Amino acid sequence: MSQPKIYIQAAEQVSIQQPLSQQWMSEPILTDQLLATATVPNYRDFIDPREARRMGGLIKRALVTTLKVLRDTGVEHPDAFITGTSIGSLDYTERFLDALDESEEALSPTYFMQSPHNTVGSALAIHTRSHGYNTTYSHGACSFDWAVMDAWIQMQLGKIRTALVGGYEEMTQDYFELLQKTGYVGQPGMAPCAEMSMSMMLNTQCSDNCLCQLAGVAMGNLAYRERMRQQLAQMLNAAHLTAADVSAVMTGKNGNPDNDACYDGIVDDLLPGVPLLRYKHLFGENYTASAMGVYAAAHCLAQGMVPDCLQEQPRLFKPCAILLVNQMDQQEYSLMLLTKI
Amino acid sequence: MIEPIYITGAGVVSAIGVGKEQTLSALNAGTTGIGTMAYLDSCHRDIPVGEVKLSNDEMVQMLGVDNDPLFTRTALLGRLALREALDQAGLTRDMLADVHLVSSTTVGGMDRREQNHAQEKTCDRLHAVMGTHSCGNSTQMIAAQFGQFASLSTVSTACSSATNAVITGANMLRCGLADIVVVGGSESLSKFHLNGFNALMILDRQQCRPFDRDRAGLNLGEGAAYLVLETARSVKARGVTPLCRLAGYGNACDAFHQTASSPDGEGAYRAMSEALEMAGMKPADIDYINAHGTGTPNNDLSESQAIKRLFGPEIPPVSSTKSFTGHTTSASGTIEAVFCLLALEHHFLPVNLNWQNAMEEGIVPVAEPRQAELRNILSNAFGFGGNDSSMIFTIDHA
Repeated sequence: MSQPKIYIQAAEQVSIQQPLSQQWMSEPILTDQLLATATVPNYRDFIDPREARRMGGLIKRALVTTLKVLRDTGVEHPDAFITGTSIGSLDYTERFLDALDESEEALSPTYFMQSPHNTVGSALAIHTRSHGYNTTYSHGACSFDWAVMDAWIQMQLGKIRTALVGGYEEMTQDYFELLQKTGYVGQPGMAPCAEMSMSMMLNTQCSDNCLCQLAGVAMGNLAYRERMRQQLAQMLNAAHLTAADVSAVMTGKNGNPDNDACYDGIVDDLLPGVPLLRYKHLFGENYTASAMGVYAAAHCLAQGMVPDCLQEQPRLFKPCAILLVNQMDQQEYSLMLLTKI
Repeated sequence: MIEPIYITGAGVVSAIGVGKEQTLSALNAGTTGIGTMAYLDSCHRDIPVGEVKLSNDEMVQMLGVDNDPLFTRTALLGRLALREALDQAGLTRDMLADVHLVSSTTVGGMDRREQNHAQEKTCDRLHAVMGTHSCGNSTQMIAAQFGQFASLSTVSTACSSATNAVITGANMLRCGLADIVVVGGSESLSKFHLNGFNALMILDRQQCRPFDRDRAGLNLGEGAAYLVLETARSVKARGVTPLCRLAGYGNACDAFHQTASSPDGEGAYRAMSEALEMAGMKPADIDYINAHGTGTPNNDLSESQAIKRLFGPEIPPVSSTKSFTGHTTSASGTIEAVFCLLALEHHFLPVNLNWQNAMEEGIVPVAEPRQAELRNILSNAFGFGGNDSSMIFTIDHA
């Protein structure tokens, strides 16, 4: 099988940082809030206000990052829309649950209709009238990573050439409080729990505006460490790189000791001593936070620099390849290798 | 044509039984599993549902595990079906390092969250874990009993979820990422989605009547089903006998409306066409269509249009087995796939129960059970948001 190269043509975000902008690279917004909501862009630039009124926040943010990417890449109808969201339209789900607590009679279907996880991905297709492949992964902290994996697989198979891949998550006060009790977010010293929307265009064709190459992606179970090492070796080999070419590893460290120790273990296994980057203190923690890691790494490679705000031990260097490591419940992981063009 | 993908194991749980044997006898006898609510705690007792006739405690006992307050009904159903699929394929705990699992659900842990939601503000950690049990946690909980899979993944595209899990798994095999992938879905009934569908006014107060002129909506059901997909190389190396082949599949988006299908069934038409093309088949090669056939006025008309567009005047026998199980939403794709496997193996056309009068512009389903030598079956699953998917199962008769 001939292996097509895959490029990240564009990537846009709405998060704690300035929306639809890379301003965070020079002027990062840091917050000490435990729960931080997304900074909303001007929706009117992208969505008819009458249409926007009928949409939940999650869908609006997903649509805006998607439409920006479609506009910037000129890809009107990508071959696939592949969505990662662990909890989907949480706000509407809880509103329907609240109504259900009152009574099972005389319920309005409005909130229910937007509650399934695939509402986001299908809203993107409905809005853009795109009939191509469309699916949604809801696999906790690896939801976005599986969406990337799916696009990768189908590009290898020659089934698709362009894919709009996104990670979208929202948060409510009630759900945050539950997650805080479980220890997942809201602990002292942790990155804020946050909302995020990140859309990117994967394309098998390289164009002038491409940010970087997606050189490899792999998923697995942390019980099988040897396989994880093999996956990285294969990934590097396919990209004609060696371990020494990896400029940095971007981890999902968030200030929670259990979570962070897990990453230290993985990095020691894979690439001991390599400079470490992190992004969750800037973009926040949530299930599809890994999308923000890919977004940040792609823009670093495109600009040929890594801002101090991402570095554990700041120094000046020109990144060639960044390995992204993401773990879920200290049981599962994803690896993604991004390289400069 | 694609390189062959074999199915070497299958497990199923639905309102018509636990396991393939009970399922087969109910399908042959034309015995529906839809009836009065016995396990779901809802005030809508007048709405018929396709419940699995087991309490959670009974399922825990059947699984031979210690009870855990965190168990969800979705996970227990999933475990029963997954166990049967793994057993049939001869996959034991020590082999799972090379076996991937792609599971699907939308309800996930909603059955537990809705019980506690009113007390969540003051709940303890255990109930917080319960309240935040996600679709991915559901897959982890289903898998945990059997060992450490090579990877876990969760697809959630509402009513087409399980079919899309099959597609992901099949693509993983074709890409060389795996030799064995177990795919499927699990979904329990919940007050949440029963009330949601009820508010949408698409639940029939009687037994659902797919493709009937007087159809008045769907009945919700629950269950789980898993298929073991395997490459030719692995089948040969392990010396296992395949049940049938997954010959093709398609996924397309109707891109029309969040909860309604387009009048011309564009998404459905594209999904079926793509599956045929991948299988290298013509419409005339299809011997039976297991329709999505929910029983709602909208779906059955839209699906009829799509089938007529693709098949022209020569429409193969069609039936909706949702008249047996109710609409098992995220599990329906693989539950119905197992029905197709049974039809291929035992040479019969599953009947479309409760059908009496032809609908205008609609297809006429198989209303009487009959024997038939089947080679190729097309199975449809369409979801909210227009996430439409189809797959084709083929048996290679010696």
